[in-house]
Amino acid sequence: MSKPKIAICDFTDCEGCQVQIISLREKLLDLEKHFDIVDWRLVQAKKEKGPYFATLVEGTPITPSEIETLKYFREQSKYIFGLGSCASLAGIPGIISKENREKWYKIIYGAGYKPQGIDALPIQAFVKVDFLIHGCPVGQEQLVRFFEELMAGQTPSYRNYSVCFECKVEGNPCRLVEKKPCLGPITQAGCKAVCVSGGSACYGCFGLRTEPNIRALLTILNNITDKKEIERYFTMFLSRTEEYQKIVKPNL
Amino acid sequence: MVQVLEKKQINDFLAELGKKFEIIDARNDILPPKQYFFPPKEEIFTFDKKSARVSIPKIKKDFIIFGLSLPDLEAMVQLDEIMRKPQEDFFYFQRRNRAYLIGLSEDPICLPPVCALPGGDMILEKINEGQYRVLTLTDKGKKIAKSRFLKSFKNIEIKKYPDGLVPMPTLKKMLLDPEYLSDIVAWSWKNDAKIWDDLKDICLGCGICTYVCPLCYCFSVEDRNASRCRQWDACTLPNFAKISSGFNFHKTLKERYYNWFFHKFVRAYKEYGKSQCVACGRCKKYCPAGIDIEKVLINIKEDYEKYLSVAKS
Repeated sequence: MSKPKIAICDFTDCEGCQVQIISLREKLLDLEKHFDIVDWRLVQAKKEKGPYFATLVEGTPITPSEIETLKYFREQSKYIFGLGSCASLAGIPGIISKENREKWYKIIYGAGYKPQGIDALPIQAFVKVDFLIHGCPVGQEQLVRFFEELMAGQTPSYRNYSVCFECKVEGNPCRLVEKKPCLGPITQAGCKAVCVSGGSACYGCFGLRTEPNIRALLTILNNITDKKEIERYFTMFLSRTEEYQKIVKPNL
Repeated sequence: MVQVLEKKQINDFLAELGKKFEIIDARNDILPPKQYFFPPKEEIFTFDKKSARVSIPKIKKDFIIFGLSLPDLEAMVQLDEIMRKPQEDFFYFQRRNRAYLIGLSEDPICLPPVCALPGGDMILEKINEGQYRVLTLTDKGKKIAKSRFLKSFKNIEIKKYPDGLVPMPTLKKMLLDPEYLSDIVAWSWKNDAKIWDDLKDICLGCGICTYVCPLCYCFSVEDRNASRCRQWDACTLPNFAKISSGFNFHKTLKERYYNWFFHKFVRAYKEYGKSQCVACGRCKKYCPAGIDIEKVLINIKEDYEKYLSVAKS
């Protein structure tokens, strides 16, 4: 029986999530016994046409040709998986603000440049997506878990608990209790609270947990900091979510 | 005769014990002692395809958990009881049976016959600025009390320190009547709905209160890649009461948050005759939304009393 074919493609992003796959090293070779990566621009010369069993999409498409490529992979693949926050949430490219964009176009490309780019959106804005592997970057343990589930024929599953579980296990006191902003309670776990353990806030790169109580968190954040800061926290990764547009933005 | 350990020799005493035991210093822990017997995330067994054998984690060495507070010791007595029912939790007791618990108290210890036996195998009770009285409570405690650092004295200055460190004094008193607590919490769901309506707007549902609670023991199980993993679950999380058909017994955060109280104060009383709470105060201390469980219960009690007085008149 031939092994399932997998493609890994990338759009606008830093390629860090693909590096995480490469960094699995021997573990990747183990996993690769169960499937064939037949198209992976960053890593190999081998490039086969579809159909594919699955395509992992890293980054967000911001030009018409990138959108076409994404649609091509959708047509050719049984499953499409978002790889990392740029794909799942528009991530870092999603932070860009339109006004500044105009200014920088002129500075970088000159006055005659005709912009082609569109606003970064999560890939599910363009095609149907079967599962999102969250994270900026994605975690290695999480990747292994994902591949194992995929190869076992299971539906990959989201962690329906907050970062707070992993944060407590790491022995961190609570940032919010210490009156420092944090999006951990509304964010899906899987990162082992690496940012909070390292002294930073959680900015929600794993996306929102099921049924997050965003209004309650906003009340807490309003007591800790100002609206501008709250906007900064939420727009790092979550500005393209429906919840941000409907609940957070009207309150800023 | 009073057995005494000099404050400045605590570390020497531990170092000496460390030759025979693994020492866990729990003094600065955020998570409660349950974590050492029922880890937050644990592979309880793995299956090896080649040998066709199931293996479970091996506990290699006896271990000592040092520095537990009185509420934590009390919680451990209760948790041991809970983990024995309906049948003994193998994975819990395979660790628990290897553990020695040493309590550390700034407050005076009340012993039988006046009080119930506090938990733990040994408690170091502060008797003055420089010394601790060593109370050995079990055979295990006697075993670790054979140390050159523990000295016996006939006359020793014993200062009675006031109970200054009780984190939730009112709740501690309320816990003396678990039947009443059970009644008022059960009553509140329908008759004091405002309390739960308000709380559902404040609670983040993050589950921290359950993780830091020494007496929350709910877990979920996940089978993966020839292993079985169990992990702490939290009843405030949306999928806690969801079953495989997709039906969710607790659809709203209001129901889920109430369930936390219901289990601790109503169900626990029915099953064990006491509340599953020792007023350690962690849930309040670590709640990012600042929810004060003691205050919630006081509010319910006041509303209940009001309700009764209106009903009478």
